[in-house]
Amino acid sequence: MLETFNFRVIWATMPQFLHGLGATAWISLVALVGAMLVGILACVMRLSGRRLLALPAVAFIEVIRSTPLLAQLYFFYFGLPGLGLRFTETQTGIVALSLNSGAYVAEIIRAGVMSIPRGQTEAAAATGLNLYQRLRYIILPQAIGVTIPALLGQMIVLVKDSALLALISVFELTRAGQLMASERFMPAEGFFTTAVFYLLIYFVLKYASGQWQKRLIFRPAGGA
Amino acid sequence: MIRFNKVNKYFGDLHVLQDIDLHIAPSEVAVVCGPSGSGKSTLIRCINRLETIQSGEIFVDDLAVHDRATDLIRLRTEVGFVFQQFNLYPHMTALENVTLAPMKVRKTPPTQARELGLDLLAKVGIHEKADAYPAQLSGGQQQRVAIARGLAMQPQIMLFDEPTSALDPEMINEVLEVMIQLAKDGMTMVVVTHEMGFAREVGHKVVFMDMGQIVETAPPDAFFTNAQNERTLLFLSKILSH
Amino acid sequence: MWGYYFQNLLDSLPFFFKGLWVTVQVAGLSLAIGTVCGFVLGIARAGRVRALNFVLAGYVDLIRGTPFLVQIFIVFFILPEWGIQLEAFSSAVLSLSIYGTAYICEIVCGAVQGVPNGQREAAAASGLNWIQQMRYVVVPQALRPILPPLVGQYVLLIKDTAVVSVIGLTDVTRVGWLTVQRIPNGILVFGLVGLLYFSICYPLVWFSNRLEGRLTVEDNSL
Repeated sequence: MLETFNFRVIWATMPQFLHGLGATAWISLVALVGAMLVGILACVMRLSGRRLLALPAVAFIEVIRSTPLLAQLYFFYFGLPGLGLRFTETQTGIVALSLNSGAYVAEIIRAGVMSIPRGQTEAAAATGLNLYQRLRYIILPQAIGVTIPALLGQMIVLVKDSALLALISVFELTRAGQLMASERFMPAEGFFTTAVFYLLIYFVLKYASGQWQKRLIFRPAGGA
Repeated sequence: MIRFNKVNKYFGDLHVLQDIDLHIAPSEVAVVCGPSGSGKSTLIRCINRLETIQSGEIFVDDLAVHDRATDLIRLRTEVGFVFQQFNLYPHMTALENVTLAPMKVRKTPPTQARELGLDLLAKVGIHEKADAYPAQLSGGQQQRVAIARGLAMQPQIMLFDEPTSALDPEMINEVLEVMIQLAKDGMTMVVVTHEMGFAREVGHKVVFMDMGQIVETAPPDAFFTNAQNERTLLFLSKILSH
Repeated sequence: MWGYYFQNLLDSLPFFFKGLWVTVQVAGLSLAIGTVCGFVLGIARAGRVRALNFVLAGYVDLIRGTPFLVQIFIVFFILPEWGIQLEAFSSAVLSLSIYGTAYICEIVCGAVQGVPNGQREAAAASGLNWIQQMRYVVVPQALRPILPPLVGQYVLLIKDTAVVSVIGLTDVTRVGWLTVQRIPNGILVFGLVGLLYFSICYPLVWFSNRLEGRLTVEDNSL
């Protein structure tokens, strides 16, 4: 089978794939920033202790977690124009990705914060620190060590999720492969190349995550 | 019965067992003691090949433990092992813990295995807890079930790796009593322990290890009253003073 | 306008339910196959055969490192080039099963390795061989920690069935996609699609949370 594999064509279309790779990287990064913002907001709302804020946050998170990303993507892609909002496909895609990943980021942060023993908050409060100070000096620094590996994992998920944007005609890595299949009738070369690029991103991110975990051997302080 | 010939073992760069020569005769009770890190647990774990050695020979009866071709299952049916952390199967009752191996390895029929199991549990003094789960038993009771489990395959040799170290003080005796009775019944035993009372009562030889070497071997009386080696004396002064 | 769309949508409801049924079928089959294969591979992966571990690790990395969409495309477009003609349903089940098996394999392997080593040693010391050690002592103890992540994985797989709509399989997402061409109200149409997925997935998510002993509403404050 490999004899019929046309490496020359792949080489010739490499610029297209690199273009797609760049688009995927860009989309993923922007969506990650968006997801962090959404996630932190949703998490703070949820942990605020006020029903008015917490319930919408919980509802948002549970709806996102119980529906497919593709359905959410189509929801925005087909739905937003009906509301008079005109976004480009890429922008729509980033919005959908940010909201989707944001829900998961919210849960990751919540888990990190909850992993800190109650005693820490109590000790901090006992010495007179207010909410902001407790967050800044005691809770968040400890939560981050626990949270970063999970966040890196979510980044990997985000990169893979970005592939769905190909279905709303956004030009990125998967679409590059798709076009090679539909325009040149070479699905094998097209999708294998796409797969290789994704694996490259995956292994780079996985390595970075491993390196970070070695540097930050962080454990929440013991004792209740 | 058990013979170590010039045995060496490394954990990476750490020379954990150095030129070990040891002989234990049938029905002999050997007590192995020494500071932590001396290699005593590693020593007995080599006997049933829970650990492998890099050079030297270990013989159990006519079985060459160091030889990869040796039938591991046969070796382990001849040698029973009791762990410091008991390692009872939490999802099985005490009786089931004891009868698992006989039924699956020796293919003993269930009714016979059950009888055997109940006998053994009676022997270690907890016949009435046969249907209890490990979580419902005290540490001392769990360890006694573990001893019964070790005896279930009717081994020639019983190995004990610090059997009482994980127990609260008031439960140590109930386990030691079972072990003493075993010794009096003629079982060949190798026991890693700090319980010197046990050594004095039924031990035939005490083996002192330090930093991977066997420093001194002597019958209990000689060992406690007339130790020769300086390191032995140092160790003894530490453990006998409190 | 919205009222008109809403009425139209209600009339199309039967198609949505048909699509939902396809979703359930694809998900159910793939979950079953994935669970069986995942268990077998997961236990094997927890063993000591180096070559096997290497191959399985490679397989898992391949599946986890590429988007499911790309995997479906590969199965659907490339298999015919090798002479294997599968229609949409089979392609969907095949790719989802391959995908699910990899993830379930990791979950099972993790749980098996999580059983304290002393348990396996105790079983080994009494003469049980490797298969017996796994079967009677290790795997039974691994089952409890497996359940929550496994149910979580099931939810993920059910949601991933949406992606199979791209190869033309008429699941509930594709019904939505087709419907929105006639009823150009994305919010209503995909709101309905979302509702249908939610009705299947949320009970499972809730169940998985319960298994992990977590509460879903506020349980901690800053």
